[in-house]
Amino acid sequence: MIETPVETDVQRIVLDEVFPHTPEVLWRALTTGDLIGRWLMPPLGFEAVEGREFTFQTKPAGPWDGVIQCRILEVVPYKQFAFVWRGGHEDNLGYGSRLNTVVTFTLEAAPGGTRLRLVHTGFELPRNAFAFKNMSEGWPSRVALLATVAAGPH
Amino acid sequence: MLEVVAVDTVMRALADPTRRAVYERIAAGDEVTVVELTRAVGVTQGAVSQHLKSLRLAGLVADRAQGRNVYYRARPEGLAPLIDWMDHYGAFWRERFASLRTLLKEIDS
Repeated sequence: MIETPVETDVQRIVLDEVFPHTPEVLWRALTTGDLIGRWLMPPLGFEAVEGREFTFQTKPAGPWDGVIQCRILEVVPYKQFAFVWRGGHEDNLGYGSRLNTVVTFTLEAAPGGTRLRLVHTGFELPRNAFAFKNMSEGWPSRVALLATVAAGPH
Repeated sequence: MLEVVAVDTVMRALADPTRRAVYERIAAGDEVTVVELTRAVGVTQGAVSQHLKSLRLAGLVADRAQGRNVYYRARPEGLAPLIDWMDHYGAFWRERFASLRTLLKEIDS
């Protein structure tokens, strides 16, 4: 039986990959401000300390200034790193809607390197659908998808 | 055709708070009539009918006539475009992981 997701249905993104590097090297890339800026987005005020607050600047929307507010929840060296990822505004629907999510990275030794697992949880459909949409910005297939959508009948 | 309803049609259909309330009321049970919906949502029957039309066009609800009544039920598969869309959002992180892989090569050589 298919369950019917409603507004409060909470979704998550999970990614699991093995990188041919030691947990120490991977940990450095995940928890050093300069390096985070080189693969994710440049953080402002970042320091890998539990309770620390930092931000990412993205595109503003309506009453939302585009700032993603983060707060570090967990720092377990070479093992786990988690932070709150908040943004948006109640008055926005779709892109820029209120977003209250958690990003968790888990590292684990694996043959040939380190297994990195990402869990980004707390998305609510359909309210946050556009937030996801924005997160895939810059991804060519999304442009293709949007073109398809735009060309479709309304 | 319902099968090719675009994700933005589904999003738009569920964007209106009243329409979403109508949808949620339908999704909460097996089948419901306009009269029952009107009572539950607290807007006029005409407004409910309009919302039902939008939801039906978006593929989110189906109807069935029986005697003098029309029964509405949710089509769970109608939300598939949103779920599919979400799969694409994982692309944000996949792309970032690819950048991470490149960065690691640079800093670990």
